[in-house]
Amino acid sequence: MKGYTIDLDLEKCISCGACMVACMDQKDIHPENGQKPFRTVFDLETNRDGITAYSHLSLACMHCVDAPCITACPSACIRKDEETNFTIFDTANCIGCHSCAMACPFGIPSFGEDGKMEKCDGCYVRVHHGMKPACVKACPVEALRLVELEGDKTILPERSLQESSKNILDQQV
Amino acid sequence: MDSLNELIKGKIPCEETGIQIRHTLCAICSPANNCGIDAYVKDGRLIKVEGTQEHPKNHGFLCTKGQANRAFIYRKDRILTPLKRVGERGEGKFQAISWEEAYGEIAARLNGIKAEDGPEAVAFFGGYNKWYRPWLRRFAHSFGSMNYGTESSTCMTGGWIAWKLSSGRLSSPDMGNCDLFLGWAYNPYYSRYLNVKLAEECKGKGTKFIIVDPRITPAVEKLADLHLRPYPGTDGALALCMANILIQKGWIDQEYIDTYVHGFAEYAEYVKNFHGGNIEALTGVPYVQVEEACRMIHESRAMAINENSAPIPHHKNGVQNYRAIMALSAITGNYDRSGGQRPVKHTFTHQVSGFLTREDDFADGTEPKDARPAVGAERFPLWYHMEREMQVVDLSRQILEGTPYPVKAVFAMGMNMRMLPDVDEWEKALKKLDFFVDTDLFLTDTAKLADIVLPACSSFERGEFMTYAKGYAWYTNPVIDRVGDSKSDAEILKDLAWVMNLEDEPLKAGYEANIRDMVQDLDITVEQLRESDLPVHVPGSGQPPMGSYIQGGMDTPTGKFELYSELIAAHPEWGLDPLPTYCEPLNGGDPKEYPMILCSGGRLPHTLHSRLHPIPWLRSMRPDPMADISLEDAREHGLEAGQDMELYTKNGGIFVKANPTSRVPKGVVFFYHGYPEADVNRLLSREHVDPYSGFPAYNSTRCGIRALSGSADHRPGEKPMEKEEG
Repeated sequence: MKGYTIDLDLEKCISCGACMVACMDQKDIHPENGQKPFRTVFDLETNRDGITAYSHLSLACMHCVDAPCITACPSACIRKDEETNFTIFDTANCIGCHSCAMACPFGIPSFGEDGKMEKCDGCYVRVHHGMKPACVKACPVEALRLVELEGDKTILPERSLQESSKNILDQQV
Repeated sequence: MDSLNELIKGKIPCEETGIQIRHTLCAICSPANNCGIDAYVKDGRLIKVEGTQEHPKNHGFLCTKGQANRAFIYRKDRILTPLKRVGERGEGKFQAISWEEAYGEIAARLNGIKAEDGPEAVAFFGGYNKWYRPWLRRFAHSFGSMNYGTESSTCMTGGWIAWKLSSGRLSSPDMGNCDLFLGWAYNPYYSRYLNVKLAEECKGKGTKFIIVDPRITPAVEKLADLHLRPYPGTDGALALCMANILIQKGWIDQEYIDTYVHGFAEYAEYVKNFHGGNIEALTGVPYVQVEEACRMIHESRAMAINENSAPIPHHKNGVQNYRAIMALSAITGNYDRSGGQRPVKHTFTHQVSGFLTREDDFADGTEPKDARPAVGAERFPLWYHMEREMQVVDLSRQILEGTPYPVKAVFAMGMNMRMLPDVDEWEKALKKLDFFVDTDLFLTDTAKLADIVLPACSSFERGEFMTYAKGYAWYTNPVIDRVGDSKSDAEILKDLAWVMNLEDEPLKAGYEANIRDMVQDLDITVEQLRESDLPVHVPGSGQPPMGSYIQGGMDTPTGKFELYSELIAAHPEWGLDPLPTYCEPLNGGDPKEYPMILCSGGRLPHTLHSRLHPIPWLRSMRPDPMADISLEDAREHGLEAGQDMELYTKNGGIFVKANPTSRVPKGVVFFYHGYPEADVNRLLSREHVDPYSGFPAYNSTRCGIRALSGSADHRPGEKPMEKEEG
C-alpha cells in the first residue's frame, strides 16, 4: 500500500496545542466565530484506586486505510487521494446527513455553518509538494509524524496512536 | 496535478499562487529565544508561519505561542497611527495625530518637566519586546536620567544577581555533558521548549533527572527519576538541607572547595540548621527523599543545575534561595567543570553566542555623572549597586508619594502594568502622572492610560540584529508590509533624539549605524549579515575552555566562588546577609483567614503574560481564567470542575473557575496572570518583595478560596463584591 498517515507518539505528546494552532493558521479557522480546528489535544488525568495516571493525546482524522466514512457517504463526497492515501473530500454535493460522522469510530467529521462536512485532509496538497502536514511540521516535541504506511516503523507500536486505534477500528468495521 | 484553487487553499508557495517564503524571527517572547520563522507572504501580507528548518536556533520547530504569530501581528487592537488622548485617562478615547505632532508634544512636555523638576523626574520604562533596550537605556542617560528600568525588574535579573554575588558571572547548565541534571523548577515543555530535545537525548543515554517542583508537570512525567515537591518558596531550606547532608556524609569536593570557594566554614556551620528533624515541616519534602537526592548527587560524575529566570526569584527570599541552590554546584566541585555550570557572558540582548559585541559600551556610554540615584535605589540598594537602573517595582510608590523625589512623567515602550503587583495602585500612579507616553503594538489597558500612544511594529515588519548560540549572528530584513503607520521602536528613539535635540550623535545616527559600531571587532560586517537569508557563523567564535574562569580568578571580591558574600559584608547598612540564609517565604496575614498559598508563576504552554490572552486561537485552549487546585482542596470546598469560585488575599479577591487537578499539591493554588477580567496581580502587595532584588513574591502569598453559589450573581470577570464574611 502506497501512501502515508499521520501518527502520534503517545509517549512524546505533552498536549501543548502547537498542532492545533498550526491547523488554525493553515486552514484559516476562527474560533471566535465558533469554528474549531481539525485537530484537538487532550490533557488527561485519571485517578483510580489512589493511582493517578497522566496521558496526552492529539486527535484528528486517522485517515483509515479502509475508511468507513467513504462508504457511508450517500453523496460520494469523500475519497482517497491516490498519491498520499489521505481521506479527502469535495463537499459540493454534501447534504449534511451526518452519515460519515456516525460511521467514523473516532467521531471526527464536523459540520460548518453551511451544514456541510469538514475535517482534516492531511494537508494533502502540501504533501504533494514535499512538505509536511501543518500540524506535523509544528509539533515541537516530534510526537506527530507523517509516516509511510509500509515504511519502517518510526514510532514503536506500543506508543503509536495508529496502532492502538486499529483495534477500535477492527471491532467496528 | 493540483488545481490553482487547491494550491491557494493549501497556501503552497509557488509562482501560480504568488506566495513567497521569507525568513524572519519571532519576537513574541524574549531575545534569548527569537526562533527563525518561515513567513508565508502574499501581496505583502502574512498568511501563515512555520519554523525555519535551516535556522541554527530552532531547526524548524516553533512553540505554541510562536505558531500564533499571524494572529499576534494582526491582533484586532493593533494601533495604526499615533494617538492623542481626548477622554479621561483609561477611558480609551483618542484621536489620531501625525508622527510630527506626537513627537513635538513629547519633546515639549519631557523637556519642560526636565527644566522644571530635573531630568530624574522623567522615567523610561522598557517592557515588551526587549530588543530596543540598549537604545532606551542610552536615551534615558543622554536625557540626563538614571531612571531607566524594565520588566526585568521582575524577571531574570534576580537570578543574575544571585550569580554575580556567588561567582561574579551568569552561568548555565552544561546539560549535554552531565550525568545528573538537578532540574530545579525545570519544565522545558512549557517554556524554553527547545531544551526538550537535548533533555530527552540525555535521558535516553542514561542521564538521571531530579525534578524539583511543587507541580506534577510534563517534565516530571517524562524525565524525573526523583521528584521533590517543596512548597513554593521553601527551596532555600531544601537546598541548605541537601548541603548539610552532603557535608555530613563527606560527599563534597574538599580540594575544589579549598582552592576555589570562599566562606565554606561559615556556610557549613549555618546549614546545620536544616536537618531531618525539621526539613519536612519547613518544605513538605520527606527527609528520606532529600537523602536520596544527595545520594544521586554523590553517585554522579557531573551535576548540572537548571538556571531559571522566574520560578525561584519570584519569592521574598528568591535571591537567597537561588544562591543556596547554586552553592550545591560549588561544594560538589561542579562549577566551571564539564557537565556542571558553565560561566557565560552575554553577546547581545541577553544572548550567549560565544563572541562579544560592544553593546554595553553603547548602552552605558552616556551615563550621567552626578545624577540622582534611580527609583528604588534606597529600598533595594543591592539591586541598584548591581544594575545601575530603576527597580520598577518601587516606581508606583515613588510616583504616588513623591519621595525621595517626584517622578512626573513616564516614557514607556511596551509597558504592561498587569505584570506588576498591586495593579490598582499602578493604575492610580499612572493616572497621577503629568505626562505618560507608551508605545506598543496594541492598545493595551496600560496604553489606554497614556496621553500619547505610539504605534510600534512587530519583528516581521522591521530589520534587526540578532545573535544566537554557537557563534551565529544575523541582521533581518522586513518581510511584510507594516500595519498602519507603525514604526520600529528603534526608529522612534532615533527620531525623538533628533526632535528633542539630545546631545548624542550616535543615538541620532540610528540603529544600523550603532550596530556597525557594536560589531566592529568581529570578522563580519552588517552588509554580510544583511545579505544572508539565514544567521551567519561568526569566525573565531567559541566558548573559553571549562575551568579557565575559576583558574583565572572569578569576578568577585575574593576571586573565588563566594558562599559568604564579601560585597554584602562590606555594606552592613544594606541589612542583608552575606550567607545564603533562609527565611520563611509567606507574607504576614492570618493563616486562619488565608490558609493557602497562591502561586501565580506556573506557566501554560500557550500564554505569555497578557499579550496572548486576546488571541482567539490561543484563548480557545483555556477560555476561562482557571485556578488549579488539588482534588482534596476541591472536595473540602465543595468545588467541581468549572465551578465559579473566589480566590482572595488580604488585598482583595477575583472570581475565577475551579480546575481541580492532581497535578498540584494540597494547600497551593496555581493561577496564571494577566487576565484583565481576573487579574491575579490585583491580589498581590508591592510590599511583599525580595529585599535583595526587589522582585515581587508572585509565587508565595497567603490566600484563601471559596465556592460561589448562585453563579448568576458572581460570574468570573466581574469585579468581586466586598467580602461578606471573614
